[in-house]
Amino acid sequence: MNKKIAYVLGMITLIIGLWGFYDRFAFGHENAAYGSYVSWGLWVALYFLFGGIAVGCFIWASLDLLFEVPALKGTGRIALWAALVDLGVGLLAIGLDLGHFERFYKAFTNPNWTSGVIEDVWGYTIFGILTVLALIFSINQNKSVALKVVMILGLITAIFAAAAPGKMLGMDASRMFWHSSLLPVQFIFLALTNGAAMLLVIRGFFVSPAENEKPFSILSISLVGLLAFNLYFVYLFFSQGLSGRIPDIVQPVNAILNGQYSLLFWGVQIVLGAILPIIILTQRKLAGSGALVGLMGLLVLLGNAVARYLIVVPAQQVEFLPNLSTAFSGRGLNLAYMPSATEWAVASGLLGVVILGMLVGADFILPLVSKSHKEA
Amino acid sequence: MTKEASLLDKYASEAFAGLVSPVLDDLNISLAPDDDLTKEDALVRMTAELKRALEKPASERRWVMVIDLRKCVGCTSCTVACIAENKLPPGVVYRPVTIEEIGTYPNVSMKFLPRPCFQCDNPPCTEVCPVTATYKNEEGIVVIDYDKCIGCRSCLNACPYGARTFDYGMTYTQATPDGFDFILGQSKADDYELMANSEYGENRVRKGHVSPVGNARKCHFCLHRIKDGMLPACTSTCIGRATYFGDANDSTSMVAELINKPNAIRLKEELGTEPRVYYIV
Repeated sequence: MNKKIAYVLGMITLIIGLWGFYDRFAFGHENAAYGSYVSWGLWVALYFLFGGIAVGCFIWASLDLLFEVPALKGTGRIALWAALVDLGVGLLAIGLDLGHFERFYKAFTNPNWTSGVIEDVWGYTIFGILTVLALIFSINQNKSVALKVVMILGLITAIFAAAAPGKMLGMDASRMFWHSSLLPVQFIFLALTNGAAMLLVIRGFFVSPAENEKPFSILSISLVGLLAFNLYFVYLFFSQGLSGRIPDIVQPVNAILNGQYSLLFWGVQIVLGAILPIIILTQRKLAGSGALVGLMGLLVLLGNAVARYLIVVPAQQVEFLPNLSTAFSGRGLNLAYMPSATEWAVASGLLGVVILGMLVGADFILPLVSKSHKEA
Repeated sequence: MTKEASLLDKYASEAFAGLVSPVLDDLNISLAPDDDLTKEDALVRMTAELKRALEKPASERRWVMVIDLRKCVGCTSCTVACIAENKLPPGVVYRPVTIEEIGTYPNVSMKFLPRPCFQCDNPPCTEVCPVTATYKNEEGIVVIDYDKCIGCRSCLNACPYGARTFDYGMTYTQATPDGFDFILGQSKADDYELMANSEYGENRVRKGHVSPVGNARKCHFCLHRIKDGMLPACTSTCIGRATYFGDANDSTSMVAELINKPNAIRLKEELGTEPRVYYIV
């Protein structure tokens, strides 16, 4: 039943997305709301989110396939699949955001090693290759040594790739809000949180309760701990920014805490995306319900999507020079940003690809997991 | 220098702003006396210096722009000239002029700050480009290779002066009514907008999603004009003679004289970007 609903949801979101993809390819960036001053918007935030989910899932997969944690037995393969699907969708998101998607290969033929984007591209590429290899080796029972080697390399790459987007933003000294060494570390914790939340969604909605008891327990406890860490990071990040009284930092922090983004931050990121899941997942009676646990996983992912958005957008709404945004008017030459219909439609399409991609995995990968579980 | 010329020089910006014309009337001076021609115009001098600099190897030139904020009247002719020269589409601007109101009524004044690309000697924008599409050329000008740029917009965020904009591929006549296309209407009017510009001497026609559409764009000190011995468009059109351009490695040049004065400043020096645009304050 859950799967049928999910298939319908996936199809609807993908159909909406098809219009967005058409609009993007037919009219380029004309109908996107990001501009020259707020130059990265929803799609970049989604790239960070899906990339984070991918590396987070891989790290969680390593607990099963590399460290062989008994409570997570049988979780590794679907986690690898989730990593692959989310990585593909993340790369699609950033690809659509590029002015010239067809030139992406230049990142390999003309790399500039001082660029944070290059670390991202190469990190995710190597990570993607290792994930595919790990998935192949995990299906082939005779490749256990090769699987271990790939998982070790993949784990190192995943941690590197988890921090890379944070580093890419953090190395930008022109955006003081981003220019903090806390940011890459925060991205690692966000990725771990995303991975745990994604696995709870998968297991909560699509795996029978009998098979879920131990994984639920370890994933829920871990997720609660990670959410607590994330809340602490948010506190550190904002309190450090505010105490320095640097206007370029204070402005976005104020916009988030008590300005135009306060509802998103307090309502979605903090209450729905962290506090409510912490409360529910720490209740023993409630934590046993698959659908409820899956829903909590979804809320955490939603909260983390908002977290990424609030890291990306408000920082760019600070003027580089006083009154620059009013000096000349034109497309994209202002500080306002609200994702356009095209951007939302593409986001919907990306979500559809993730949902359908995961369902295909649940139908074709999960049975294999169960089988190998029984064999083991 | 004649008395009239020196007075004009002193009150140039105010005269153009029309703020102190009564003062000039009281002084009973002619705005165009015959002997005014004895003073060499800054543009004439800078053009001569430019040609002299072009005789040197490119690596020995150090192009610098100086903007005298005391003379700028905020007319934005430099902005308009730049747009016309480079055929800039909507949303792309190389040299906006910021306006800041200072004080409270009745003691209010306006401060204008023209902002070209600063052609930094230590540019953050080139560091972040993932595909080396933007770099400092032999003459020290930060340029963009439109055929390499992937449009990731990292450089837009990295520039601390907001000197880069993104080309969405739009035209000013877009979505305007079409008429008899042989004489009027959008399809005729945008012929001009789609015609090739002279940026980097490449003559690129705007067509579909072909570069520079989808690319980051920025001021390049009108390299194509410099090559032919002409000053950048913003410099030659500045009605207040507030913008100066030249080779700072030539100690006798106008810009070399100006940047050595104590009232020559650079913006955000603390970032270590070493900009090549100076402001006289």
